[in-house]
Amino acid sequence: MAEKLCLGNFPLADEPNYEGMLQCMRCGFCLPTCPTYVLTGRERSSPRGRVALAKAVADDQIDFTGALKEESFFCLDCRACSTSCPSGVHAGQVMEACRNQANEAFPLTGAVRKFREFVLQRMLPSPDLLETSMLPARLYQKLGIQWLIRHSQILKLGPEWMEKAEGMMPELHPPLRPQLPEVVPAEGEPRGRVAFFLGCIMTLMYPEVSRQTVKVLTSQGFEVITPKEQKCCGAPHLNEGDRETTRSLARHNLDLFMELEVDAIVTDCAGCGAALKEYEELLEESGERDKLELFHKRIKDISEFLAEQGLRTDSLKSVEKVVTYHEPCHLCHAQGVSKQPRDLIKAIPGIDFRELNEASWCCGSAATFSLKYTGESRQILDRKLENIQATGAELLVTANPGCHLQLAWGLKQAGMPQEVVHITELLGMATG
Amino acid sequence: MLSANAIEKLIVLLGRQNVLHEKEDLITFGYDATPEIQYLPDVIVFPTESEHVVEIVNFAREEGLPIVPRGSGTGLSGGSVAARGGIILCLTRLNRILEIDEENLTATAQAGVVTLDFFDAVMAKGLFYPPDPGSQKISTLGGNIAEDAGGLRGLKYGVTRDYVMALNGVLGDGLTFTTGGKSVKDVAGYALKDLLVGSEGTLGIITEATFSLIPPPQAKRTLLAYFKDTRTAGEAVASIIAAKIIPSTLEIMDNATIRCVEGYANIGLPLEMAALLLIEVDGHHASVVEEADDVRAVLERVGAAEIHEATDAEHANQLAAARRTALSALARVSPTTLLEDATVPRSRLAETFDEIERLSEKFQLKVGTFGHAGDGNLHPTVLCDERNRDEMERAHAFYHELYDKVLAWGGTVSGEHGIGLAKKDYLERQIGASGVNVMRRIKHSFDPHGVLNPGKIFNDEVTEEKRG
Repeated sequence: MAEKLCLGNFPLADEPNYEGMLQCMRCGFCLPTCPTYVLTGRERSSPRGRVALAKAVADDQIDFTGALKEESFFCLDCRACSTSCPSGVHAGQVMEACRNQANEAFPLTGAVRKFREFVLQRMLPSPDLLETSMLPARLYQKLGIQWLIRHSQILKLGPEWMEKAEGMMPELHPPLRPQLPEVVPAEGEPRGRVAFFLGCIMTLMYPEVSRQTVKVLTSQGFEVITPKEQKCCGAPHLNEGDRETTRSLARHNLDLFMELEVDAIVTDCAGCGAALKEYEELLEESGERDKLELFHKRIKDISEFLAEQGLRTDSLKSVEKVVTYHEPCHLCHAQGVSKQPRDLIKAIPGIDFRELNEASWCCGSAATFSLKYTGESRQILDRKLENIQATGAELLVTANPGCHLQLAWGLKQAGMPQEVVHITELLGMATG
Repeated sequence: MLSANAIEKLIVLLGRQNVLHEKEDLITFGYDATPEIQYLPDVIVFPTESEHVVEIVNFAREEGLPIVPRGSGTGLSGGSVAARGGIILCLTRLNRILEIDEENLTATAQAGVVTLDFFDAVMAKGLFYPPDPGSQKISTLGGNIAEDAGGLRGLKYGVTRDYVMALNGVLGDGLTFTTGGKSVKDVAGYALKDLLVGSEGTLGIITEATFSLIPPPQAKRTLLAYFKDTRTAGEAVASIIAAKIIPSTLEIMDNATIRCVEGYANIGLPLEMAALLLIEVDGHHASVVEEADDVRAVLERVGAAEIHEATDAEHANQLAAARRTALSALARVSPTTLLEDATVPRSRLAETFDEIERLSEKFQLKVGTFGHAGDGNLHPTVLCDERNRDEMERAHAFYHELYDKVLAWGGTVSGEHGIGLAKKDYLERQIGASGVNVMRRIKHSFDPHGVLNPGKIFNDEVTEEKRG
């Protein structure tokens, strides 16, 4: 048994980095930025508290208890604390690592375990399987919703998750990946060549959004290459605490994309972008520093990329709309991309841009959080909806499918008139 | 360990969500922002009505448990840590602003209101609450009062004490008290509120406070001055004061601090400079222009390497916000940041910088210094690693020797962080055994049973008997 190699009372190797936890000097600057702390007022549900608990496990003060597991999943992993932390602590990443530990400390058993393994290790890593069996509309029939309800503790889903999941489902179109040509040529004067990382949720649930992304890129003068063999970025696995599968997916995507001769690897999913930018750290032990560094440099969120290259505005059509912008956590906090989307929106002629109060406050979606903690997610969402209402906007722009689902559902439930659009859809409207 | 029965009593009193006692909660309510300090309480309670506090105090007396009042736990001297176990009385859920009185220019709020929320609420009515401690985004008014918190504006506007007009709360025997009021003048008997401000939770539990407010300044200008050596920066501060200019803010950062803050905030601070001063003058439009020119003239005369002015209000806010992160930003480069709160008469500032430099060389330590230079209040911070015993010993020796000089110059061991657990020994060096004895007598008359935050500021008689 290699158990004794683990740090303190962590049950598994691959522990959160000890120096990273020690970096926290407990100033509390993170507290007012943490949605779960603001909701509960409970120190252990704050970034400072969560890091203190993980450190207590590392220091042999406590075992890896149920409370640790609970906190690691209750953390939204929104990274707002990272943005606010002058000391450079990343409580979200510490909790991600703890989710992995939780799966070891509290192993699932029987059918529940098999289902989880099937979803995370077989279905998500395989684009074909995903498209044929995970197409959400068919999920109903194929996997059998009854079976899912009976096994809803698999992903530790809250009691109201079903109704919500159903309500959240957008109108579905056929997945984009099989339809998209591997190479789409640039229009107008060519400006370069990019690879497109097409996320699972984008191809399955928002194929029309990613179609706009490709359209905007090509009309801006970029040739777009979308490798068919690309796989899931690994974010759902990291989220559920399956670091091993995350690494093998990362390995695959890294090798695949680094073979292409492109100026950048562009994604329109903030969650994917954040995960791709973390490959460098995830695969650190492979020793391929140069390759990983170059990969990291090439990963660009669509807004980041277009803002960097400069938007060609000469042919843009006017869009006469009142618009506001919700910042996806995985774009602003995890990737530090905050000003760029606003600059792009404002560059479109005719737009009346209204800043959203607390624009970078999480919407409560946070991967499966919104299904696991339906009540808390709702409270976080309500705060967001109030702020949206105050802007008087007609369009709510965002840049991540998780936020998109949650916000569209919330607005519909509240009977609010705003339509949610991805930033490339807005740019698409202007592109014509 | 509290009995299940006792916990149940508290739950009946406060509701289940307002009583925490799991090990994970005890750990996470076992610290504040003071390094090397961690003690487990027995239970954490959150009163949601002022009346609850009386009942909690009575419960504590029955159970023989000490009570430690706590806000958001951002203190820097261990004041809100349960050093002897007992009850953490967390006031964050008593967080209502009760009144903003525009006729008397006062506002009344419960102890758990966050400082910046209070600032924003009164500002919305065109009024100004100046105290702005570094942690204002999360610190509570109750905590600010208990520690007599300062901030960046202290030089011109004073500290928390200067704005407290009235206090309500509970004493250690369950008696409630009200002291002060909205009258601008009040010499009726002892100024009990002045004893309670800065009492670090040892005299009474403050549940409600009334503050005086002032009209906000109409204009503001922000200057940044860079220096090639810290001594000149110190001289610049003394010269500004000696020129009879009182800026609202006069802050200093040394090179180590500049580098760390820039590493976080990315706002173009000069990485190669030995020190910078952040200077704000505010007031009427005309006087602000004049004062800014006067400050500039002094800076030029003293020999500042470069003088810049904030481009607009947003830039000025960025600079002040960046300065507030100084301590936490220093934590980027070392696992432990041990900081002190030495304050000297301002004419001694340049010498203090020399002394800090000398001692950091003598003890072979990495030190970052920043602080409220205009107040003579410096935060020399040793960047160390608590796992390195030898280094920690040298760090403590560094402060020991620094305080010799600070006290010899007529300075104080704490300008704004309080004594708490961390600085008890230094206090006695400053005020002597008789000074501590007077404080003990005061403590005894407020808290005869010794249940309120025992062992803070000074050791109580009980521990001394044990020692003897």
